Amino acid sequence: MSLTRFLAIAGFVAVVVAAVGLEWAARREGSRIPRLGDVAAVVMRYEAGGLPVGRLALLGFWMWCGWHFLAR
Amino acid sequence: MERPEEVWAERAGLWTRPYVMGAVFIPLSLLGGLFPSFSLAANLYVLVLGGALLVAGMSSRMPKIATPQELPSAVVWWLIPVGLFVVVEVATYAGGSTLDSPTLSLLADPLLESYPMRSAAYFGWLIAFWGMVRR
Repeated sequence: MSLTRFLAIAGFVAVVVAAVGLEWAARREGSRIPRLGDVAAVVMRYEAGGLPVGRLALLGFWMWCGWHFLAR
Repeated sequence: MERPEEVWAERAGLWTRPYVMGAVFIPLSLLGGLFPSFSLAANLYVLVLGGALLVAGMSSRMPKIATPQELPSAVVWWLIPVGLFVVVEVATYAGGSTLDSPTLSLLADPLLESYPMRSAAYFGWLIAFWGMVRR
């Protein structure tokens, strides 16, 4: 395995570890860190000109992820 | 006689139960796992299923769970995994997205070739939808 491939894999693993660690920290009693679901909730409530752009953006990103990883 | 909103609340409550959503998502995941990447069937399945769920998800009638109105300043901690992901993804993409510089999708492709992993990925995708749409 080349060094660059190792670094790329290590980087993506670090992203997962950081996200899981933060979610774990957020779920602890009295934590000031919001859960990922709470962050998503606030983003999804964002509206512009009466349009639910936050909700549309996150659900659109979800759909793109499904298409990109499962169909393409 | 029950009022219409009570009937709706009862029906919505039924849909929030884990075993009900599991009974819906597991067959959909097992079916989706049958379609290989880059096939017409996989494209149609994701676009039709995802499109239908996206439309349902835009509805304000979906059952919601309580969430905070504002985020505390500690939300900036979430920039660590997001920023790190952007750095690694951009660096590997700039490196040509090759075997020696793989993007996330290039690393995921061989894993998603097997039926169990592919079905599990579909299930994760659907669970992510359910987690978002209830907020």
